[in-house]
Amino acid sequence: MIPALPAGLLLTGFFLVPIGFIIFYSFGYKPGLLSSIGVDRLSLDRYGEALNDTFLLTFGNTLQIALLGTALCLFIAYPFAYWLSHHVASRYRSTLLAVVLVPLWTNFLLRTIGWQIILSGDGWLSKALMSAGIIHQPLNILFTRDAVEIGVVYNYLIFMILPLYVVLERMDPSLRQASRDLGAGRLRTFLQVTFPLSMPGVVAGCLLVFVPLCGDYITASILGGASANMAGQLVAAQFLMAQNWALGSATAVVLIIAIIMTVLAAGAGLAIVTAVLRAHRSVTLPGAVN
Amino acid sequence: MSRGRPTPTDGVSIGLWTWGIIVFIFLFAPIITIVVYSFNAGRTLVVWDGFSLDPYVRAMADPTMASSVLTSIKAALGSAAFAAVIGTLAGIAAARRPGKWAAVFLVVVTLVLITPEIVDAIALLIWFVRMGGPFGPDNQFVDYGLMRLWFGHAIFSTAVVVLIVRARVSGMDESLEEAAADLYAPPWRRFRQITLPLVFPAVMVGFLLSFSLSLDNTIISSFVSVAGSTPWPVYVFSAVRGTLRPELASMSTVMLLLTVLSLAAVGFVLRRGGGSSSELTQALAGGKQ
Repeated sequence: MIPALPAGLLLTGFFLVPIGFIIFYSFGYKPGLLSSIGVDRLSLDRYGEALNDTFLLTFGNTLQIALLGTALCLFIAYPFAYWLSHHVASRYRSTLLAVVLVPLWTNFLLRTIGWQIILSGDGWLSKALMSAGIIHQPLNILFTRDAVEIGVVYNYLIFMILPLYVVLERMDPSLRQASRDLGAGRLRTFLQVTFPLSMPGVVAGCLLVFVPLCGDYITASILGGASANMAGQLVAAQFLMAQNWALGSATAVVLIIAIIMTVLAAGAGLAIVTAVLRAHRSVTLPGAVN
Repeated sequence: MSRGRPTPTDGVSIGLWTWGIIVFIFLFAPIITIVVYSFNAGRTLVVWDGFSLDPYVRAMADPTMASSVLTSIKAALGSAAFAAVIGTLAGIAAARRPGKWAAVFLVVVTLVLITPEIVDAIALLIWFVRMGGPFGPDNQFVDYGLMRLWFGHAIFSTAVVVLIVRARVSGMDESLEEAAADLYAPPWRRFRQITLPLVFPAVMVGFLLSFSLSLDNTIISSFVSVAGSTPWPVYVFSAVRGTLRPELASMSTVMLLLTVLSLAAVGFVLRRGGGSSSELTQALAGGKQ
């Protein structure tokens, strides 16, 4: 493990130790107006303050946006990844995959501002929809939850597409063929063969979307205006504006714990559903020795 | 699994093709909007006021903007090179020497990946201020603003490179390295002539991913950067709060064009070198086959 030493030192010195300080500071307090942190008296008081109504409301809000965003990403990305891996001829696949990545090379703030332009009441989308007669008043979704949701789905969609594409691309087509030969229809083949086999990609994609989305507050502040406060904003505000490091640290620790708990709860739910379905569908082959 | 097949023209297939095209439109709608608005003659980006090339002229002539792009490129090159070197060494070690330490190391890597960026950002800010030295304003030897960006961006990137390289090495047959050892190649030569060429595509993908993550990093940068070395996303972020001028879109369009061209060049080289460029996606899907 000697070659891993530089990386180990970097991650210890610039990740574990600083995070350790955050945890330590979360037990401190703000001594006065001009001072950011005091640690001569340690207490759990900041956690009580961090778990106030504003935080719970904001975190509930963040969780809703993140869960809905992750679900929407999965719903949009799955058919897309399936299409790219099974319906596009193989020689075009890597080129199309590279094209999917192109939006990543534009600054993400400007991409989000691109949405601001599109979604605004006098933007081209609004005008096009009005002249097509689909809507009769100018579009009115900028600075609402819907706009935030569009923005986060857009910014994280790629991280759902990639892992789904990889698992679907590698799946042996003969498995689906076998399922059809055994009399299963398309829907049943999808539900009982393709989808279960793609679970590692689904799980990886959901994690890659959900976790960063919970900490993101910039997308929401551009598209949601004042109406969309995210939990990350509360942490940032304690450091940038209130200069209360202790409370900011406690809020950060609570945020991490809340994210990990949500992920674990989702994992446990998934494990239970899988176990129930397995028990329900278990097949005993007549004459089988094992 | 790589053969193409004729597409059946039934309802499901038509639906999937339509969906694929809609998703592409969704992905490119804001990019195209920004490119179009980069030719906006007006004073503010979001209000269209006729076509003009002036924003490009002004963007190229603005020294603050140019210096922020330059800072970003320096930060991205430095942190990506740093992450690629130490991440590759660690990724190979984690795959080839599994055991207690490799397991501990991978737990730390996972922690890095699941910690929200805002938490990293505040932790690093406090740490840099506390440490001073090369990360503080009092030293005479290094550009501390750039040092902060290099280390700040290298953390997440190193974790990503470790996973990508480890996935590649796990899928590789160890017998080539063993054969080289049997033929009396010393460890360094074995590494340079056998292991490194085999993992090189993964290193390249890791480097490119680190480079683009650093180039786009906003939250950590806005906390740790200092006046005088403001990176591009922080510059844009401050403009978002103030007035958004079309020059920002022009500069961004130029950068997009340059990135796409250099990536196309790298892709061409990788393809000619016979390397697979799917390590990125493999790593994101959770590693080895």
